[in-house]
Amino acid sequence: MKRQCLCKWSMSSNNREDAITELLKEFSFQKTTESLLLTALETRELAEPTVVHKSIAMPHCRSILVDDFMIIIGKSEKGIPWPEEKVTVIILFITPVKPSGPSEHMELIKHLAKALRSGGAEKILSAGSSSEAASILKFSYEENQTDE
Amino acid sequence: MNRALEKLISLHDLDVMISDLANKDISKQEKKLGLSPDTAAKQLQKMRDELASTIDRKHRNLYDQLAGHYGNAVVPVVNQLCSGCFTQLPTAFFASPDRNDQVETCPSCGRFIYWCD
Repeated sequence: MKRQCLCKWSMSSNNREDAITELLKEFSFQKTTESLLLTALETRELAEPTVVHKSIAMPHCRSILVDDFMIIIGKSEKGIPWPEEKVTVIILFITPVKPSGPSEHMELIKHLAKALRSGGAEKILSAGSSSEAASILKFSYEENQTDE
Repeated sequence: MNRALEKLISLHDLDVMISDLANKDISKQEKKLGLSPDTAAKQLQKMRDELASTIDRKHRNLYDQLAGHYGNAVVPVVNQLCSGCFTQLPTAFFASPDRNDQVETCPSCGRFIYWCD
């Protein structure tokens, strides 16, 4: 699997909701779409914070509002409360709802679970650049004009 | 966007999340990530019920019927086609400047439709 991802390397947010919003803005969705996706991701977080490893959060959902995989890696040097423990790396993804079912969504979760095991989580926490972080997760990195 | 339509889209997304967490393969992978899909699914179901209770009864009943029949009750319009049944929508649907300003259903399959940006 070689999916494209965006990166936001110096996040400025101080809380979870702002962090998700900051990352969603990188996709340049229309305002209503962004707001509905924020609601979906926040709802998932309220059900259970998606901290998947020490200092790594993985907000995610499947939605009819996107027609392709949307993946972004965010990094915050100072850390963001999620909400109890601070995270410094955020891997946010939204997958489309397709007639074929959730198999691609499942494959992406499986891929990330595998990539984060066997040292991947530690590597991404110490990654020095967007492209390095994307490479650790085996994504191709799509440079964003606003990436810092 | 019409508020009722927003709620129907959110309800659909919640149903997708709940269904995903009930999927054994997805649940297994989420557990491998250290998450608790069973707990999350229960919480999401509560939120789903709360949201559903705020939706107009007529829309909610139709949503439940459509979801039961098709599996998906809300679909986007893509290239002037209902993406549920792939029927071309009448031109009258495209006249409004804000096409998502009211709740519309596909005249062919009856699913709720919304226009992508």
